[in-house]
Order: sequence, then structure tokens, then C-alpha cells
Amino acid sequence: MSLVRVALGFSLAALIGIPVGLLMGASYHARKFLSLMVEMARPLSAIALLPLSIIIFKARTFSQLLGLEYLRYQKNLLNEMQLGMIFILFWGGVFPIILGTIQGVRSVRKMHLEAAGILGANRLFSFRHVIIPSALPDIFHGLKLGIGRCWMVIIAAEMLPGTNSGIGYLIRYSYQLSRYDIMLASIVIVAFIGALFSKGLESLGEKSLVLRSKER
Amino acid sequence: MEKNLSFSEAKKDDMTALKVTNLSKTYRESAGDVHALGPVSFEMEAGEFLCFLGPTGCGKTTLLRTIAGLEQPDTGEVIVQSPHYSGEPIIGYVFQQGALFPWMSIFANLEFPLKAKKIAQDTRRKKVESMLDMMGLASFASSYPHQLSGGMQQRAALARSLVMEPDLLLMDEPFSSLDMRTSQELQDNLRELLKRSSTTVLFVTHNIEEAVYLAGEVIVLGHRPGRIVRSETIDLPDPRSRLSDTFTEYLVSLRETFESLVSD
Ligand SMILES: Nc1ncnc2c1ncn2[C@@H]1O[C@H](COP(=O)(O)OP(=O)(O)OP(=O)(O)O)[C@@H](O)[C@H]1O
Ligand SMILES: [Mg+2]
Repeated sequence: MSLVRVALGFSLAALIGIPVGLLMGASYHARKFLSLMVEMARPLSAIALLPLSIIIFKARTFSQLLGLEYLRYQKNLLNEMQLGMIFILFWGGVFPIILGTIQGVRSVRKMHLEAAGILGANRLFSFRHVIIPSALPDIFHGLKLGIGRCWMVIIAAEMLPGTNSGIGYLIRYSYQLSRYDIMLASIVIVAFIGALFSKGLESLGEKSLVLRSKER
Repeated sequence: MEKNLSFSEAKKDDMTALKVTNLSKTYRESAGDVHALGPVSFEMEAGEFLCFLGPTGCGKTTLLRTIAGLEQPDTGEVIVQSPHYSGEPIIGYVFQQGALFPWMSIFANLEFPLKAKKIAQDTRRKKVESMLDMMGLASFASSYPHQLSGGMQQRAALARSLVMEPDLLLMDEPFSSLDMRTSQELQDNLRELLKRSSTTVLFVTHNIEEAVYLAGEVIVLGHRPGRIVRSETIDLPDPRSRLSDTFTEYLVSLRETFESLVSD
């Protein structure tokens, strides 16, 4: 359950964070305009926002969002996807992704851009074939930090009342039942999955240099 | 391209490929202005090979960058024209080093300018393959730049500039980061290639021998801000020999000019 939540929140963060980061990296005006917002929002820890997000989103879940009210009292995946939780996952993951992407776009070598221009590339073509591939390793670094954050946030969020599934919930529940064996096992699993995420993205990032150029 | 008879006839007499008038450039820095170049004026005819020879920091790179439109000049103007047809002339630029895209294979690097011009895929493939063959790079098509030696990388960079069949090719000390043998080998290749094309080449270097070996005309620039000190036509028979007497005469004579620069 935790995994599905993270997948959802993290995808959302990547889906929004990367384009925003690309825009902020490439355009001076977008950077001026958005950086104030990002800098204000960034220090607000996702966990600090949890109560607020519960107030805003109530206990709404995806089944309600999608108008599938009848699922509400059944055991269903969509029913477990509390909007508030997805929101704070998004919040936790999106900033490292935005910052990583900006960093990537900004670190493009001037010579490569000039060469592309002389070779006849217009802005869009340069963006697609020079800026994005140059930025890719940094983007992956941002994603790696982002998913680490998401994983931290979800465990904390699931420990709070109002949840009855997920590995965070399992840790808290086993603690209440004094089943320290289960609790410890869960913690090990959490650490393991966290490391897996981060290693996975890291190796993708390393491949990114090669992957890019295979496409023609 | 549509043929416009009167236009092409009018152009026929005009073999000017590049006309630079009163060009000068000052970099405005917070630490103070750097007057890097000029004013310089010169002209090139289509198919000519002109070499600017000058000491470090005299504004050679600045000159090429301004002609390529990468820097705005303070005074003067640059006119580049294609003698064969109307329309925008194609300018090629070979950087000193490292301008290949490291995330692309050599094939993809060469394909880049053709793709940017939206040339059809099979035409692209053919052009790239024949260029790779001509440059002796065929076996490196799917390698990445970092897997190639410095000499091979510069060869690939040169190939990437030539594949778009430029009217004017600007070369900024493209071989000066290489050892002497590799550099001479590439000089030979370049001469060989240019025999088969009508490309006009503007080459800059601080290496006198390279200039005399390659160029039809050598222009010496003085210390910063670079101005034209001397202009010399190199009249040597075609397979040039670095050991011939006339070659050495040019070398010595230009070295004298070069040395007199340092003393004032
Ligand atoms: N972008 C820049 N901003 C400020 N000063 C610059 C800039 N580019 C070059 N200069 C200065 O202008 C002068 C000429 O530089 P340029 O690179 O054109 O010389 P060069 O003849 O190509 O030298 P080299 O042989 O070392 O390549 C130098 O003093 C350099 O420090
Ligand atoms: Mg230079």
C-alpha cells in the first residue's frame, strides 16, 4: 500500500517538477517569477503540512475524486489513496526534483549551445537535443533525492491516526501490540526499499548518458 | 531552390565570400574594458584559404566568434555571402576542442546538423556515412566522443562541420591541442578534403608552420588589440613539403615578423 501511494505521489511530483524545473532553468522570467514561490514553499516540511492537508482534503480518497462513491465502503485500492497523503508526498518530492532540474539546465555548457546554434538548430531543437540530455544526470539526481523524501514522508504519514494500511501503519500498530519483532522487521524493510529506490534511480541516471544517444 | 537568372548572373562576377570592414570588439567587464580586437578589414574570395596568425590573446577567437555571430562587434560589419545561390550562407565552425556532444555517438553528432535542417532520414544516413568514410571514421560511427583520441575527436568535429557543406568554414586552432604528428596528419587530411570542395576557409592559429602549410594567404595580427600587421600570399606548389627551401623561407620571414611583435 505504501508503495502504491509513493508511486502515485512521486509520479505526480516528477510530472510537475520536471517541466517546472525545465521552464525555470531555461527562462529568466520564469525563474524570477517562480523562484520566490518555490523558496517560500520549500522549507515547509511535508510532514508539517499533513494536518493542514487533512483539513483541506478531508479524508477524501481517489475513489471519491473519480466519482466512484460506491466503492467507499469496500476494500479497494482507490479507497486507500487519501488525497491528503498523496498531496504531501507530492510536496515532499517535488522540490528536490525542481531544483535538480534547474541545476541541470543551468549547467549546460555554453560551447555546446553555441555549437548547436551554428549547426543550424533552432531553440526548440537545442532544447530537445542539447539542454535536456545535458540536464539528465542532474534530473536523475533530483529524482533520487525526491523519492527518498517521499519514502520518509509516507512512513511518517502512515503512522498518524486515520490510516489503516501501509508499512508505516504496520510499524505503529506492531509497536502498540508490543510485537517488536514485526516492528523491527518492518523498519528493515523500510530501509531496504528506500535504498533500492535510490540505487535504482542512480543507475538509471548513470545510464542516461548512454540511453540518450541511442535514440535517433 | 528556384532559379533566378538575372540574380545568379549578377552574382557570377562577385566572388566575394566574406567581407569584413573596420571590425573591432571590446569586452565590457566589471574589472574594466578589454579591447580585444581591431579594427580590422579584409576580404575573402570564394574557395580561398586564409589564415590569421597571431600571438596568444590577440583576439583570434574573438574575430571568428564575431564573424559567426556569437559576439556583437562594437564597430564595423561582416558580410558573408554564398556565391552559388541566394539565400542564407551556411557557416561552419570548428572549435579548439570539446564541442562534440558527449551524449551522442559520432554518427549522431554528424547527423545533428542535418536533422536540425530537417533533411530526410535516408539522405541523412547516406551523407553521414560517406563523410565518415572520407574522414576514416567509419569504424567509430557508434562510439562516443570520450572513447576517441583527441585527434579522432577533432577529426569528427571537422566532419560534423563539413557534412553541412558550409560556404564559409571558420576554424579556431582546431589542431593545436594535438601532438605534432597527429596535427600534421590532420593538416594533410584537411588539404585533401578541401581540394574536393569549394568551401572558403578562415583558419586561425599561433603556429607559423601550420599557417604556411595550409593557407593560400596568411595575415599576421599584432598583440592585443589585434590589428593587421602583415599580409602574405603563400605561393607554394600543390603537394606542399614542409622541408622545401621556399617553405622554410616563408617560415623564417614570418617568424621575423612574429618576433618583432614581441619586442615592441
Ligand atoms: N568573453 C570575454 N570577456 C572578457 N574578455 C574576453 C572574453 N573573451 C576574450 N576576452 C579577452 O580578449 C582578449 C582576446 O581573446 P581571444 O580569445 O580572442 O584571443 P585569442 O587570440 O583567441 O587567444 P588564444 O590564442 O589564447 O586562443 C584576451 O585578452 C581575452 O582575455
Ligand atoms: Mg583563441
